[in-house]
Amino acid sequence: MVSKIKKKTLSFQDTIFNLQKYWSKKGCVILQPYDLEVGAGTFHPATTLRSLGPKPWKTAYVQPSRRPTDGRYGDNPNRLQHYYQFQVLIKPSPKEIKKIYLNSLSSIGINHEEHDIRFVEDDWESPTLGAAGLGWEVWCDGMEVTQFTYFQQMAGVECKPVSVEITYGLERLCMFIQNKKSVFDLIWNDEGITYKDVFHQSEKEFSAYNFEYANTDNLFKIFEMLEEETKLLVEKKISFPAYDQCLKCSHVFNILDARGVISVAQRAEYIARIRELTKSIGKVWIESQS
Amino acid sequence: MSELFVELFSEEIPAKLQINARNELKRNIKNFFIDNQIKFNENFNVYSTPNRLVLYIDKIPNEIKLNSEEIRGPNVNAPEKALEGFIRSNNTTSEKIFKKDTEKGEFYFFKKESQKVKVSDLLEKNLSEILTKISWNKSMKWSNYDLYWGRPLKSILATFNKKLLNFNFNHINSSNKTFTDKSLEEGMKIFNDFNSYLKFFKQKGILIEQDLRKKFIQNKINEIINKQNLKIEQNNKLIDEIVNIVEKPTVIICNFDNKFLNIPSEILITTMQSHQKYLPTFDKKNNLTNNFFVVSDIKDTRGLVKLGNERVIEARLSDAEFFWEKNKTQNLVKQVDRLKNINYFKGLGSYFDKIQRMRKLSSLISDDFLISKDKIEIASSICKVDLMSDLVGEFPELQGIVGGHFAKFQGFDKEVCLAVSEQYLPNGMESKLPKKMYSIALSLSDKIDSLVGFFGINLKPTSSKDPYAIRRMAISLVRLIVENEIKIKLKDLIVYTCSTYRDQGYEFDIKKIQKELSEFIIERLRNYLKEKKIRQDIIESSTFLLGLDDLLKAYKKSLCLNKNVKKEIGSQTIAVYKRCSNILNSEEKISLETLGFADPGLFKNDYEKKLYKKINDIRKYFLSIGKDENYEESLKVLSSIKNEVNNFFDNVIVNDEDIIIKKNRLELLNMLCKTFDNYFNFSRIES
Repeated sequence: MVSKIKKKTLSFQDTIFNLQKYWSKKGCVILQPYDLEVGAGTFHPATTLRSLGPKPWKTAYVQPSRRPTDGRYGDNPNRLQHYYQFQVLIKPSPKEIKKIYLNSLSSIGINHEEHDIRFVEDDWESPTLGAAGLGWEVWCDGMEVTQFTYFQQMAGVECKPVSVEITYGLERLCMFIQNKKSVFDLIWNDEGITYKDVFHQSEKEFSAYNFEYANTDNLFKIFEMLEEETKLLVEKKISFPAYDQCLKCSHVFNILDARGVISVAQRAEYIARIRELTKSIGKVWIESQS
Repeated sequence: MSELFVELFSEEIPAKLQINARNELKRNIKNFFIDNQIKFNENFNVYSTPNRLVLYIDKIPNEIKLNSEEIRGPNVNAPEKALEGFIRSNNTTSEKIFKKDTEKGEFYFFKKESQKVKVSDLLEKNLSEILTKISWNKSMKWSNYDLYWGRPLKSILATFNKKLLNFNFNHINSSNKTFTDKSLEEGMKIFNDFNSYLKFFKQKGILIEQDLRKKFIQNKINEIINKQNLKIEQNNKLIDEIVNIVEKPTVIICNFDNKFLNIPSEILITTMQSHQKYLPTFDKKNNLTNNFFVVSDIKDTRGLVKLGNERVIEARLSDAEFFWEKNKTQNLVKQVDRLKNINYFKGLGSYFDKIQRMRKLSSLISDDFLISKDKIEIASSICKVDLMSDLVGEFPELQGIVGGHFAKFQGFDKEVCLAVSEQYLPNGMESKLPKKMYSIALSLSDKIDSLVGFFGINLKPTSSKDPYAIRRMAISLVRLIVENEIKIKLKDLIVYTCSTYRDQGYEFDIKKIQKELSEFIIERLRNYLKEKKIRQDIIESSTFLLGLDDLLKAYKKSLCLNKNVKKEIGSQTIAVYKRCSNILNSEEKISLETLGFADPGLFKNDYEKKLYKKINDIRKYFLSIGKDENYEESLKVLSSIKNEVNNFFDNVIVNDEDIIIKKNRLELLNMLCKTFDNYFNFSRIES
């Protein structure tokens, strides 16, 4: 079985299918991507909110992630403003999680007995989420393929029980599996469609939007409006809608940042404002859980 | 005699935490043995791999004898319950309890007979607490447990005298088993003693002892570099880190495409070392080569590890090359204006504002340094442009260096390029020191501007917090001045910098800045001298009443005196001074009003005259030396007064009956002390 997988190059979409199947068998709720622009899989409420509170939870999903500042107009072989993460969150963290994780790599053709899999210190912090965790980035022959984190704090609240978050960078992982030097050369499916066919134009256009055309005056106003809306919804104690507004705030901020109109000092202030929103939402959510 | 063997198995603990945990465990277990008066082999070691923290101590007795002792219980007036509790906790009966008077009143006592205790019992009782006492620099919780550890702790193996030690540490029960497969946490195997454990893992290529791992890695590297005529950096801190991130090291030599060697080598080295933990190699002429070492944690039987790592470095270097090619042609001068958009610090303006101030300051410094004003102004203007480049975005640690390369590529003057490249140096005590005047001038301007700014907006460091590394900045400033023997009027430069801030509309309290910053910089000089192992009293003395403009002088004098304090010229000079000043000090009680000079007309004998003449000779010497004082020579001159002083004290009685004569002689001694004080404040030196 293993040898068969090796002969055929695992396509981008098959990589996703295999991971979904694997984690589904491990009892995870397989979700679909969240329908808002977020910077990372962690921002999906299925991670942010559900990692808080006492109830056990297991989930896995693909999350398109947007990092406007990382856009390179499709010119850089490793850098994208829109890419995919495969996110797993399990609360409480299971005892054999390392074994489970290493076996998930086998499911996509990476045998840990043939590759130098290394757990390299990487403590994680998200200032906008008021979150922190300890863990590693996992290297496969020197290539970072996964973030592996034990959440210690989320939305400013201590996590109890502690969740483990496993985040695979799908493009990087596939570049490794398919032996490609450029992300755009990745084979998307068995029909020969490439990553370039799917995403090159949008990378180019979104880079132009993020760096050149986004209307910053409007975005500054929108930020204020969204912030106000979030606060209102927090007062109404409805955490999910409040969190949606907060996510939108965060994305607006990211575009403003990419446009280069936020100074260093302002930057810290905006991040603090978003963090305050997240914290207040976290409180409302936890109350709803008890 | 027995041995204690403990293995704590966890998920991968980072290198620094491992070292910290090893030291903590070693200290705690040592204290336990000492506190309980158990003999043990004090040369024991604690070992670690990323997953295993291992303790092994031999030469431990199986039993120890506890001497009999009287244990004090509750006061006789205490409630009955207290007594019951006391009896229970000592595992005894009420017949064995007796009353006894003490200074604090009458108490119940229990006499514990001398007894033999098994060390294994003591260990079982205490190991949990010993482990709890490990203080982690950073620790975490996982799952539902309350335990804090560096990373999730999975099992504890503990044996004494080849027998299992049974105890609980939070949710974990000890056993005599461990996982032999660290990856999948499988292959449970029983080990009753350390040697069979070591042997078992050695057969699998796993080296538990970090020192052996280090030797192994170094030997493998040396084998290859000797064969290929290569070198690696000496004293490589990276090797120490690598040793602690592998348990089964395999050294693999890899290479990347030669074409990348056209990128500035600092970029390649940073990519390899800090980002990938690879060891770069150099040829015999110290040029970077395209060979590098990877230390893998598995045997690379199919060559996949080598291939993978080569692909990773290739991708990373392509990225760097892309940025280098893009950034190097972006005109530095044309970009200066864009610095207006980059904030330097809240309350201190943009980087554009900063370079305007630096340009003025460095231009002022150039007059003292006798260097070209034009060149230093150019260097100041372009020095921060690299902060906007993609390369510095990718490699923040290479700020300045990258700018220097841009400048070189764009044909700027060699000295300008070097100054840009070295503008942040030195960065602390250990860092490299710029030697060229343009570099020194630029670095001085940057540091003085920052220090004045931060003190201006009241962000000076507190005793415990220094978030902007201002102390390091000031120490670097001190090093720049004293190690390069730079003669500058630092005070004037600070005042001038305040005015450049004022010209931009920043109103600082100049007097306050001057006072606080002087004290701060002088305090750094004191620390610096301490680091240089200068005697504390010499430091006190040389920095007492020190002005900011005399940092170099104070440094050189301290060094000179420290070197000579035990030699003849030093000890004699101090002895002479002390002899005179002691008399003056004792006389001060009768409120002697000194004029500051003696009247030669009142001298009664040659000894006074000769001493007077000698003092004046020395004064002439000090007047003549001007700026270029040779401090050792000065010390020699001072010590040469020894004979005149000895003759004076041997033949003249200061305490003359005639109060006028006496006063005149005291004036003479006072003249001597004052003259000596020109050189150094000897009163603070311990003789």
